[in-house]
Amino acid sequence: MIQAKNVSLTYADGTVALRDVSLNIRPGEFVYIVGPSGSGKTSLLKLLMGIEFPSAGSLYVMDQPIVKREAGRIRKLRRSIGPVFQEFRLIQGRTALENVLMGMRFLNIPNRQMVNSAKEALTKVGLGHKASVMVEKLSFGEAQRVAIARAVARKPALILADEPTGNLDYDNAINIMDLLYTLKDKNTTVLVTTHATHLIGNYHDTSLIHVEQGKISVEHRGEQK
Amino acid sequence: MRNTFYFIKESIRIFRNNKLSNIFSFLGTALILFLLALVIAVWSISSRLTVMLREEAEISAYFDRDAGNTEELLNLIGQIDGVREVRLVDKEEARSRMEKILGEESGILDLFDENPFEAYFEVKIHLDRMDSVFTQISALKGINYVRENREALEQIEGISKALEVLGYLVIAAVSITTLVIISHMIRQGIYQNHEQIRTLMLLGAPDGFINFPYILLGFMLTFGGGVAATILINTLIHQGYGMLGSTIPFIPLPPKSQLMYGLSIFLLSVSAALGILGSLFGVSTSKKRN
Ligand SMILES: Nc1ncnc2c1ncn2[C@@H]1O[C@H](COP(=O)(O)OP(=O)(O)OP(=O)(O)O)[C@@H](O)[C@H]1O
Ligand SMILES: [Mg+2]
Repeated sequence: MIQAKNVSLTYADGTVALRDVSLNIRPGEFVYIVGPSGSGKTSLLKLLMGIEFPSAGSLYVMDQPIVKREAGRIRKLRRSIGPVFQEFRLIQGRTALENVLMGMRFLNIPNRQMVNSAKEALTKVGLGHKASVMVEKLSFGEAQRVAIARAVARKPALILADEPTGNLDYDNAINIMDLLYTLKDKNTTVLVTTHATHLIGNYHDTSLIHVEQGKISVEHRGEQK
Repeated sequence: MRNTFYFIKESIRIFRNNKLSNIFSFLGTALILFLLALVIAVWSISSRLTVMLREEAEISAYFDRDAGNTEELLNLIGQIDGVREVRLVDKEEARSRMEKILGEESGILDLFDENPFEAYFEVKIHLDRMDSVFTQISALKGINYVRENREALEQIEGISKALEVLGYLVIAAVSITTLVIISHMIRQGIYQNHEQIRTLMLLGAPDGFINFPYILLGFMLTFGGGVAATILINTLIHQGYGMLGSTIPFIPLPPKSQLMYGLSIFLLSVSAALGILGSLFGVSTSKKRN
């Protein structure tokens, strides 16, 4: 699913966000990414979405090389990814339902199936009753859950969620983590960055990526609980 | 088509984001296209006039009063290459023609005791053969004096040519202006919505999906302008024909419905084409990050 070999990311201003990252993530893996603020978690997800490109090393996502001149193919690759952005990136002036639909309209899903899938996803994040509310009227936590519904509803092969529980209370956070974890059964690969380390112990057969000043270490946590 | 409603709703939203500019660019396009239609209408009337006048190219050949061989001369002229038709206009016909031209003033002819007009050959010719026919007729024995109406014809033809050139210039000006207006509106819309566009790109939306609402809006603005211009010019022609017909009846106007139909087709297709081109141009010149 994801192969990284000695990947580094240096931003234009010279900031080194990631150094010498090597990774191998299999389909259906559930991966936590943890580390202090500014350590490079978001930067890693940006690389995987082709928003940034490795300054050194090689990176493949779903067998697609992440290189700048492959812009067209990267755009296509993104259709198989369900992104949850740290800043949500909802589209203003639309309802919650329309926001979820806008992640699917170009995916060749039959209309009825698309609407059903969107409503189902909103219900799963606990927002079935807010489907027709404009997103700018939602609370932070509600907006975040719409962003999660948008990522989940399109049934992607890979979910890249950047602190999806950052604005949620304990119960909602558990609900979202449960939702993401169930996707594992459908062989969906999930990468979740989080500061909520207390939730991590709840789930078995996961991987943990520690990011510290751009360096990573990977830990597999098998059957525990 | 899938997403039809979505695309229409998006276009309306982009229009609303920038209502005033969009309304003015619609009105501007409508007026520009109306001016274009006006020039084309005048051009088509004048070029039709020219075609008809070309058929009026003729030579009047006067002959010796006492030449008895008019029949023979008539035959000789008829055989000249470039002559379409020749006939003898006798004194009485010459007089009655002048009476017609003078209309109410024809009383002046009564001052003459005798008919002052002379018989002549009226030779209808092909305009481009004017020179050779003219010299050949002049050279015939028994022909006294030859007159042609080329100068008047060439003047009218010149005017029509000038109108044609003006027409092309106006078409060019209208096309460039419309393209600039529409592509600018599209770029503006894309700029205002760049956050949304960026999100759609991050979600993997293809360019066609992202751009379509903008192209649709550009098309609707221009084509809408074309429709408005069509209504305007058709109303004008409808009214104008009534007025022209009663004041200057001798202008050979093209059939009203033909002119209206032709102009409508022209305006609608030109505005549709310009709308699509302008939007595509606006979309392709907008800066976007992947
Ligand atoms: N576009 C950018 N240009 C320059 N430096 C950047 C850019 N984006 C991030 N950085 C820097 O790269 C480093 C890693 O940032 P990143 O956003 O990946 O951290 P993070 O682990 O996601 O932090 P947080 O937990 O606060 O979200 C930081 O030092 C940050 O300042
Ligand atoms: Mg971050």
